[in-house]
Amino acid sequence: MDQIIANVLNLALLVHLLLLGIVVWRVWRGENVIDRLAGADLVATLTMAILILLALVRQDSLYVEVALGLAALGFVGILALARYLADEQMF
Amino acid sequence: MEIVGQTLTLLALLGGTFFSVVGVLGYLRLPDVYTRLHATGKVGVFGVVLLLVAAIFWTPLSPGLGLLFMALLLLAGPVTGHALSSAAYRIGLRPQGKRDDLARRLEKMNNR
Repeated sequence: MDQIIANVLNLALLVHLLLLGIVVWRVWRGENVIDRLAGADLVATLTMAILILLALVRQDSLYVEVALGLAALGFVGILALARYLADEQMF
Repeated sequence: MEIVGQTLTLLALLGGTFFSVVGVLGYLRLPDVYTRLHATGKVGVFGVVLLLVAAIFWTPLSPGLGLLFMALLLLAGPVTGHALSSAAYRIGLRPQGKRDDLARRLEKMNNR
């Protein structure tokens, strides 16, 4: 059972890395600015997922704390950028 | 008792990966900004939360930190989606299709 979980973990890590590459390519040739901003948010979310999978592979919970910091900072950044795009001023 | 934790870990891993794949497929294939935002929300709210369930069962992560992370994700996902779609409407991107309820509402507010 441990071997099965280790194999599934490696497969999930590979799938998430592939998805990250695809989304970065899609942001590069995005249609409009909100599309690209949503793609950047998706890149941050997939990075969180990869960090949590690394915590599972390495058996180390420090990676989850790094992902928590990334989630908090990314949330504030996306909100500020969305407001800047809509109102052309941030405050 | 060990087998229960292992089975839950396996199911949560497979479910989280499934939702990540579905969200990215939706981001690639759906036609306009609003439907794409609907798809990308799934990755944060279902994919990462299910991976966190697996991490709580399978690593020496304290459950309190995992629950805090889940609460942050469940709060941040809808707020981010709302902010992005509101910004898209105010920039001037209109949804596909004939029906546009927000346009009538904005017109009524401007005439008042």
